[in-house]
Amino acid sequence: MKDWIARTSLALKERLLARSTVLSALTVVSMFAAWEYVTATGLANELFLPAPGAVWDAFVKAVERGYQGNTLQVHVGISLLRILTAFVAAVLVGVPLGIIMGLSKDARALLNPIIEFYRPLPPLGLYTLLVMWLGIGEESKFALLFLAGLPGIIITTTQAIWNIDPIYARASQALGANFWNLIWHVYLPAAGPTILAGMRISLGFIYTVLVAAEIVAATAGIGWMIWDAAKFLLSDVVIMGLIVLGLTGVALDLVMRQIGRWLMPWQSRSKT
Amino acid sequence: MNKLLLGLASSLALATATFAQDAPEEITIGYLNLVNAQLVTKNLGLVAKHMPGVEINYIKVGGGGDMLRAIAADQIDFGGLGNPPTAIGVARGLPITGTMVLNMLDFVEAMVVRTDAEIKSFSDLEGKTIAAPFGSTTHYLLLQALADEGMDPAEMKILDLRPNDIAVAWSRGDIDAAWFWEPNLDKTVKDGGNIFMTSGIMEKRGYPTWDVGVVMNEFAETYPDYVEKFIAAECEGIDYWIDNPKETAAIIAEELELSLEDATRMMRGTEMVPCERQLTAQYIGTTEARGGFVDTLIATSDFLTSQDRLPASPSRETFEVFLEPSWLETVVANR
Repeated sequence: MKDWIARTSLALKERLLARSTVLSALTVVSMFAAWEYVTATGLANELFLPAPGAVWDAFVKAVERGYQGNTLQVHVGISLLRILTAFVAAVLVGVPLGIIMGLSKDARALLNPIIEFYRPLPPLGLYTLLVMWLGIGEESKFALLFLAGLPGIIITTTQAIWNIDPIYARASQALGANFWNLIWHVYLPAAGPTILAGMRISLGFIYTVLVAAEIVAATAGIGWMIWDAAKFLLSDVVIMGLIVLGLTGVALDLVMRQIGRWLMPWQSRSKT
Repeated sequence: MNKLLLGLASSLALATATFAQDAPEEITIGYLNLVNAQLVTKNLGLVAKHMPGVEINYIKVGGGGDMLRAIAADQIDFGGLGNPPTAIGVARGLPITGTMVLNMLDFVEAMVVRTDAEIKSFSDLEGKTIAAPFGSTTHYLLLQALADEGMDPAEMKILDLRPNDIAVAWSRGDIDAAWFWEPNLDKTVKDGGNIFMTSGIMEKRGYPTWDVGVVMNEFAETYPDYVEKFIAAECEGIDYWIDNPKETAAIIAEELELSLEDATRMMRGTEMVPCERQLTAQYIGTTEARGGFVDTLIATSDFLTSQDRLPASPSRETFEVFLEPSWLETVVANR
């Protein structure tokens, strides 16, 4: 009887999942249909919204012949390299800082003013200063992306560590755990899922400032391509670039979730 | 937001009734951040004088690329564009019409090179870093000059920077050369640079660059007489520039926060064409026969097409329709 309930609930769940997949697909399909309709009937100005076919042509052309000296693959590759370098650096700096701030009230008091101050600054305003300090090369782009990604990680990590019931730490200490044992076997496993959520948010923030970072003096990158095409009113390239940018973002997020499931299997198991 | 609502309201008004309206409540003028008589017109409030009761908004726009975006987003009523962005806008079907010559570009736009970079000829640019605002007159002239010298732009690093950013990058030593315009050009010359090539020299080689005044078609259809009022005000500004060089220099110095000496020199780098002369064959021409500006636009768009910056060059007729001398003719006839 118990077995039967478990099986039906599982099957029901699968159907639910299938239902959500169908619904998502429906959204995508109807968006494309609406896009095709408004462009085919001439409701939308071609200058602002080119037909899906034109955007596809722009995609094929960029892949095969390139856009202003580089193929689309190179543009995407350069941007992903910028994003991932900044993201990895933000994680390497943000997680330890977050742990320290989660454990120590003093550290929190010391670092909070800086983080809370620059976090809401608009990226373009910050970028002007970064360009003056670091020049127009890769350094300023890296710094902007890094700074965009950092606060999300620090804040969620701090919160996650802060929320851990101190009784776990006391229990392991009673069993003879030292500081590093505590970090590896208590804090990180307990805070892991929240930190991962913070990392996903932070990756999203890095994505949102990519175009801003590639506006100044870049000659390649998907953000630069979008910006450059807008200058020459090539809206097919702009829309194509945005779709590619969005898809790579979704793909990266999927990869992060998969890594999370693999590193922290207890997280998904606790929910079933 | 207000602008958007206004735009919506006016397009609704257009849809229901296409007759010309009496007067707009406000107009927005996008002016290029460079040295020309529009600064005089703005400073002396000449547009307001010709349009009593209308609120006049001025928006400073960095370069041609930004102006195209402002036009595409319907954020301005009147604007100014160099010939390359004009060719781009017309080819892409922006709803604008050319009204008058704002200025001819001489050494107010020039290529500055770092003195210690030892750049004596175009071939010395190989391997160097050069900046220009993409899509603008100077980016076009840079590529045109390189093409004439038989040089491949891929042999050097050409960066897209706005004039302000060029000045910052220059002071940090990030770039070796830049082709752009005053007032920022002067900062780089004073900071270890010297002029290597000017837009005036390129004009003598057969590549004139200029800025043309444009009006949004919707505005022109709704308020045709206000297009004339606008042109009359700009013509007055141009006359003032020609007749009162000293006072003009003081105005430029005030508007751009420059010394009087710098303003005077920069003024000489821009040529103002009196409105009467704009109707001759060298410039806009007349309703019967368009002038040389059409030829320049065709040459520019052919070049941009060869650079893969435009899908296809528009026809001569498209450019002739874009350039509309009738308002200017009325203004000149009434002077």
